[in-house]
Amino acid sequence: MLSIIVLYSFAYLFLLSGALFAFIFLRRLFVEARERRDLRVYLEMEKDLLEVLTASSPGRAALEFARHHRSRARVLKQLLVAYREALTGRALEPLKIIFERTIRSRCLRELRSPFLATRLQNVRLFVDFSRPEEAAHLIRLLNDKPVVRLAALNALTGIASGETLAVIFDRFERDPAPNIYAYSNVFNSLGQRVEPFVRMSLRKPLPSGKHALLIEMAGRLLLRGLYADVVRFALSPVKELRIRTARTLGRLLVPASRRVLMALAADPEWEVQAQAIRGLGNLQDWRAIPLLVKALFSPNWHVRYNAGYGLAAYGLVGVLQLQEVSRQKEDRYAAEMAGMVLDSIVLTGGGA
Amino acid sequence: MSGLLRLLDTGFEHIILVYFLLINTFYFLFNILSLAGILRYRRMITFVRFGEIFRMPIVKPISVIVPAFNEGPGIVESVRSLLSLRYPVFEVIVVNDGSTDGTLDRLTEAFDLRPSKAVFRKTVPTLPVRGIYRSAVQPKLVVIDKINGKKADAMNAGLNISRYPLFCAVDGDSILEKDALLKVVRPFLEDPERTIGAGGIIRLSNGCVVKEGQVAKVGIPRHWIARFQVLEYLRAFLGGRLGMSMMRSTLIISGAFGIFRKDIAMACGGYRAASITEDMDLVIRMQKHMHEKKKPYRIQFIPDPICWTEAPENLRVLARQRSRWHRGLIQTLIKYRGMLFNPRYGVAGMFAMPFYAVFEMAGPYIECLGYLVFAGHLVLGRVNYPFAVTFFFVAVFYGTFVSLLAILLEELSEHRYPKVRDILILTAGGVAENIFYRQYLSVIRAWSLIDYLRGKNEWGAMQKRGFAKAGQTP
Repeated sequence: MLSIIVLYSFAYLFLLSGALFAFIFLRRLFVEARERRDLRVYLEMEKDLLEVLTASSPGRAALEFARHHRSRARVLKQLLVAYREALTGRALEPLKIIFERTIRSRCLRELRSPFLATRLQNVRLFVDFSRPEEAAHLIRLLNDKPVVRLAALNALTGIASGETLAVIFDRFERDPAPNIYAYSNVFNSLGQRVEPFVRMSLRKPLPSGKHALLIEMAGRLLLRGLYADVVRFALSPVKELRIRTARTLGRLLVPASRRVLMALAADPEWEVQAQAIRGLGNLQDWRAIPLLVKALFSPNWHVRYNAGYGLAAYGLVGVLQLQEVSRQKEDRYAAEMAGMVLDSIVLTGGGA
Repeated sequence: MSGLLRLLDTGFEHIILVYFLLINTFYFLFNILSLAGILRYRRMITFVRFGEIFRMPIVKPISVIVPAFNEGPGIVESVRSLLSLRYPVFEVIVVNDGSTDGTLDRLTEAFDLRPSKAVFRKTVPTLPVRGIYRSAVQPKLVVIDKINGKKADAMNAGLNISRYPLFCAVDGDSILEKDALLKVVRPFLEDPERTIGAGGIIRLSNGCVVKEGQVAKVGIPRHWIARFQVLEYLRAFLGGRLGMSMMRSTLIISGAFGIFRKDIAMACGGYRAASITEDMDLVIRMQKHMHEKKKPYRIQFIPDPICWTEAPENLRVLARQRSRWHRGLIQTLIKYRGMLFNPRYGVAGMFAMPFYAVFEMAGPYIECLGYLVFAGHLVLGRVNYPFAVTFFFVAVFYGTFVSLLAILLEELSEHRYPKVRDILILTAGGVAENIFYRQYLSVIRAWSLIDYLRGKNEWGAMQKRGFAKAGQTP
């Protein structure tokens, strides 16, 4: 009896594994055949597309291309996405025409799909080929799940008009749980065009997290016109806002900010001090050097670190100060930090 | 008396059957979830251009920390592989944890290391650091030379000197695929507030050919022990961990390749030096921390970024490795027993921890008990045939089916084994591992409890061979 059980058991196991192997093998045959077919179609389409791109009348050639290849949507999507990466500016126009004439309506339909992955795929196509008048479709997706929302925001940045910018900022202001990172990415992509919108938002009573992002963006995008709007946050009771203000002032490099930064360098919070010290270093105002040297003796590592690199930003004058501190014996930590900064300047060639 | 024994016997049989039915059903469900996850992920990344991350000005930089203890044969290859990763801003910190095989000398020679005066915050305690070196030819490379502690201590030293907000733990004998960081960082870009950790797939480099720090040709190892492990890794990563991640029950991000938010790891005190499996310990502690702070979080497992690592090819070394893993599991579950069935810790407390305790920790004992009961019946000539048949179907047949599903998941996800012969070997391995290999590992894991109670705390180092180079027979 036992031997029969063992025999049957192994027979079943072999059958099971054989069936699985056969399935994988047949699937491979099917997938490889499809891939070969797709590649053939892709190469054929690519040849036609290159002709479109080099034609004397690309618009008309693109229409012809779209008419001819409309039925091969799957491969066409791949081709358009691949060429989107390679082309810029006016060279993209034929691709947009082909997209509009072949896949656009399907994409729009699939933007309303109940499946997240399908919506996402189609938003991504819109990122590449959308036109300003199509913003409404994307704006609807700003209420979708975070990953779709981010893709939709990215798509909107690609077709940024005054109207879409207003929509993006309105959405940001009303978003109850904004993905700060995603928004900062979007604002970064939009560049200095956002200045009037950031100004308006900074003047509104928003949660401190949103103000913090807007202040940060003013610094990243070097929106010097926002100096007056940013500097008033130096007196904010919210630590995070003072940190961002110090960092932003250190980037904007407005000479008038020296006094504010010196005041922030005396802030009770070390995070604010550290940012203000670094900002003073960036300003390279010689009147701040004694303060930076003093900060090099701070009990806080971050403050010492920023003071060290702040001094290094002055060039030779700062390097001489650092050398002096590195040679003194009273404060080992200050000496070590000065030594490290000098060492890293030499290694990276930063002192040159 | 004999009636009582028979009752006990029947009771044991039922416990064993129910146990195997449950464990295999759970793994089957994880496989199904993984399948859904893989298909969804594949659709989600359609048209994603990972290169776009390079254009994002605010992408989060990563400190890649590589603890290395006697990794001499493969360390230069590993570091080269890490330095050639595609990612906008990153640094590679190699922590030479008191190696005695000339690991530091090899690094010094290969990368022209020079002593640096870098000073760092000792935010988490570590054993003394002997020196910090920077490469004159690779600005991204920092090497720390420290007194031998354990892996956790080396990771803490790396954390102290790291500059960036995310850190990636990579084993010294591992090779990351070029886009691995770009892919694994995605959850941190999509949901930066909540994502605290992410992990990728670990594959075995045995049988593969490595060229210029990258796996150039994927193959199946020649040794059956390594072949069984290939299957185990597929089952564990593509089936188990991905499935558990879909249920938000990730308790392990492998120490061989995982990426974490540094502020959260530091807030938890970094790696726990006394821990045997420091990777699991850190992930559980981070989750505990987030729950206690009442902050939402997520830890994601991505089926795409791949890390290749070397597996032991002899039973003695394998036994040491598995014993350590099991001791680590026991230690961690005992250490954080307060989370078990504790609704305060959400899914981690109510599902993941109990699952690991009942099925992963207790599994080998119940499996060994099953074999003992069956052997006892065989010796006494009292084989219960209905039990034997059911046991076979529930334990072996069902278990093999789940193993084979992992091969299917591989085929549907990465499709890394191009030869039909390789798939055939893996399929045969799925059946053959039921003869001796599986029982051997169960006994080793069960025995590890004795080692744990004896306080055995050895690392279980394995002899490194280094990676097979292009042109060599793997």
